[in-house]
Amino acid sequence: MTRLRAVVSLLLWVLALPRAGPAQGYRLGLDTRAQAVSYRGVLLDSVPVSDTVTGPTGGPTSRDGFAVSCFPGFSYCSVFRPGLEQHASPLTSTADLTAWGLGVAGLSIRVRARLGASLGASDVWPGTEPALQLLEGYAQYAVERMTLQLGRQTVATRLGVTGFDGGRVTVRDGRRGLELTGYGGFGLWRGSTLPVTSSALNPLGEFRPPERTIVAGAGVGWSAALFDARLSYEREVDPSVDYFVSERAGVDAVVRPYRGLSLSGGADYDLAQGWWGNAEATLGYLAPNGRINATARVRRYRPHFDLWTIWGAFAPVPYTGIDASLSLTPISRLRLHASGEHYAFENANVATPLVSVESSGWRFSWSAGYTVVRDVAVEGGYHAEFGPGAASRGFEGNISYTAGEVLALGLHGGTLDRPLEYRFDESSLATYGVYAHYRPAPRVGVELDASRYVEERTRPDATAFDWNQLRVSARVVLAFAGGADLAGLPPAVQGMPRGPRPEQ
Amino acid sequence: MTGLSALLIAIALSAPQAPPQRFDHAKHQRLFPTCTACHQQAAAGEGPLYPDPAACATCHDGTIQLRVSWRAPEPRRTNLRFDHALVPVMTRAGQAEPPGCTVCHGKEGGLWMAVERVNFGNCLGCHGVRTAHLAAPDTACAVCHLSLAQARELTREDIAALPTPPSHRDATWATGGGHGRAAVSGGGGAAVAASCATCHAREFCLTCHVDAPDRAAIQALAKDPRSTAIVVHLAPPGTHDEPTFLSRHGVAARRTPTSCATCHTRESCLTCHAGTPRVAAALPPRSAERGVGAIVKRRRPAFHGANFARAHGAMAARTPATCAGCHVQGDCLACHRADAGTARGYHPAGFLARHPAAAYARETSCSDCHNSGGFCSTCHAAAGLVSTRPLRPGYHDSNALFATGHGQAARQSLESCTACHAERDCLTCHSALGGRRFDPHGPGFDAERLRRKNPQMCTVCHGAAIPTP
Repeated sequence: MTRLRAVVSLLLWVLALPRAGPAQGYRLGLDTRAQAVSYRGVLLDSVPVSDTVTGPTGGPTSRDGFAVSCFPGFSYCSVFRPGLEQHASPLTSTADLTAWGLGVAGLSIRVRARLGASLGASDVWPGTEPALQLLEGYAQYAVERMTLQLGRQTVATRLGVTGFDGGRVTVRDGRRGLELTGYGGFGLWRGSTLPVTSSALNPLGEFRPPERTIVAGAGVGWSAALFDARLSYEREVDPSVDYFVSERAGVDAVVRPYRGLSLSGGADYDLAQGWWGNAEATLGYLAPNGRINATARVRRYRPHFDLWTIWGAFAPVPYTGIDASLSLTPISRLRLHASGEHYAFENANVATPLVSVESSGWRFSWSAGYTVVRDVAVEGGYHAEFGPGAASRGFEGNISYTAGEVLALGLHGGTLDRPLEYRFDESSLATYGVYAHYRPAPRVGVELDASRYVEERTRPDATAFDWNQLRVSARVVLAFAGGADLAGLPPAVQGMPRGPRPEQ
Repeated sequence: MTGLSALLIAIALSAPQAPPQRFDHAKHQRLFPTCTACHQQAAAGEGPLYPDPAACATCHDGTIQLRVSWRAPEPRRTNLRFDHALVPVMTRAGQAEPPGCTVCHGKEGGLWMAVERVNFGNCLGCHGVRTAHLAAPDTACAVCHLSLAQARELTREDIAALPTPPSHRDATWATGGGHGRAAVSGGGGAAVAASCATCHAREFCLTCHVDAPDRAAIQALAKDPRSTAIVVHLAPPGTHDEPTFLSRHGVAARRTPTSCATCHTRESCLTCHAGTPRVAAALPPRSAERGVGAIVKRRRPAFHGANFARAHGAMAARTPATCAGCHVQGDCLACHRADAGTARGYHPAGFLARHPAAAYARETSCSDCHNSGGFCSTCHAAAGLVSTRPLRPGYHDSNALFATGHGQAARQSLESCTACHAERDCLTCHSALGGRRFDPHGPGFDAERLRRKNPQMCTVCHGAAIPTP
């Protein structure tokens, strides 16, 4: 019944919104997507020790062939059997509205909201709860030297994409390239549109603050012809106890000493933990004719945990990686790309005489694309990565046909081998599929995609179950607009209709 | 365009219109002693230019001679000022008499009534033009030609067929300032050269020039929608094809905004740029008087390389104003607040099977887009991949002793651990209040700082008795 109500709400949402927008001008985009997917996990079970036998590889198994783990002194052993095949069909509709002409020059309203429902037999796909989510919704007043935003919004800094309900003010001096930003409000938890108090974000019943956190931050940037630099600071406080949730600062800079050449870098420092977080330095080169694009980078990664968890006290160690990438266009029809990285974790200071764990890894990929004839292109590539925990390698390719911006058809396929380090579970996967994107009018778009996944898992026991499925998805994009300056609003502000999707 | 080029249209249009039956002058040379017997207007300046067809029947009555169907040709569509009625007043210096018919319609010393097509070179000669027709000076065009707006008889097809002067094929003609200089070089105080007006009207200029209202030469041209029959395809200047053009065009635009304003209206900027850059604000908006101008298509800049989706974070953090030039916040949220209905996009097909390797070593930070609780743990819980009390061995079965030696794996990939494990799982052993009391604190742990920042975290394991370093 709940699901039916959600579907009805979704339909009402789609029908009602195009009539919205009493302002003098508005842009409204509706992007509805649905996909059907299934997956299969495991089910924890136990068997009496007396029901175990010695398996073909010498270890204990259940009588029906599943590997079991027995603890000395316990009368029962743990066993993971294949779980039920889970079917999920999330349906989401995102509305993006911009309205202006509200009587004050420079005043506009932006709303981006998403309505989601799960149409499958089981509600197992993440991201559809709660059904209605407000991604952003703010009023903006913008003049040449200042922008003021009030409402739900996000701010992107090197510390992440922070969401909050509050205000932000940006003051700039365009002539000198200076910009000063300050913001604050009630926080949304990382990577979500919900506060940390939401039960939808706590499926495991972890410790959480009882009240919404308060976020505040500031940034100052300086841009010139030869360099850009920016300082960022952000803190988050738990108002229930007035303690810090996080406090970090970061710096970013780039220098462009010569046309096409750049040296950029940045780092962030965790003021709460007292250690450096992520950092990187990149040397980039873009040839004047655009046919060579190369980067070489050194970077450091350390995860960040909020202080209301105990995870930070476990002292996660960072890794340092060196990577490089090269893109070439030797002839106009041929595109080549290769990249690779080697990384190594710092010493974890943990004695593990009984368990050997990898502490370094590498990854690389290459790809090539060739335009066979004007509208037909072929692309293929290979990737491989190996490191602590898991590894993967595989080929992928596609052939596409495009007829301007109206039609795009394609076939894609790939292979994947995925061994895991901590668990016997080597998976081999083959995928192939077809997609079609049709845009009969500038404000209407339809996309369809169907893919077949064929998987084989290799284990020395009966848990080697397959995971085959047909995954289908559909997308419908509609745009509505009205207003005196209909032709004057840029697509970037309109959001819709979308331009050609950038290549990944 | 040189105005005299339009003279060729007269040649083209004066070609025989395939009348029912042509009059053969040579065949009748013994019958007619003078031209003006039939072509009265050419001599007197008045009267018909052609005889009455009934006069032919005097001989071609079916008895003396076969009947004929000749009739006077239809008036020709032309932009020539010439009219045979003017012949009586066409006198040259030193000559009292107008030229005879053979001057234009025959050869000097040729046979009587060996009538030939008009030799327009004679026009140029008599009018003192010493160049090739299409290279004649601007002042000469209007002598023989009407302006396009005045030549109402010409159809769009006629105009489209007008010949192109050699000067127009010069590499600098279109974008190098050539045609602009020619347009204002008419002399005589004219705002625009007569040579331009012979073939063009204001609408033609609007095909490219969005600054037409600001150009006196264009405004001096008459309006005539037929002028767009001449179709031009103006390629962008070579600088626009350079890979760095997108990232550097702002500097050029600020330096010489007028050069942009020739082809671009404000809408050109706003096709990509969010907000209204200062240069854009200085450009005029699109309007009927300005024409469409250059159509800008939003495209991916060259510096958005093949790996940009993964590498853009640092650039976005450093110079958000650069991103904001073309993007709004909502563009970020398409990925950074992931849509459950999205099948493919940032991640390739099959990523669900591949994600363990990507997640363990965090090539990119998953939590920038996915909430670990709402996304990772929710899905893992549905798949049976989360721990349930009491903590049991078995899942990490590649090593039977993994639970006792998991420390290094945990410190290296703690984010991956938290996708399946809750804090209580760890507290079974890592707590000062109970369990096995294993100390989880590792390198870099600053107890005093953390106690100062948030002692509540300490109480989870230490209770009220938080140790003082």
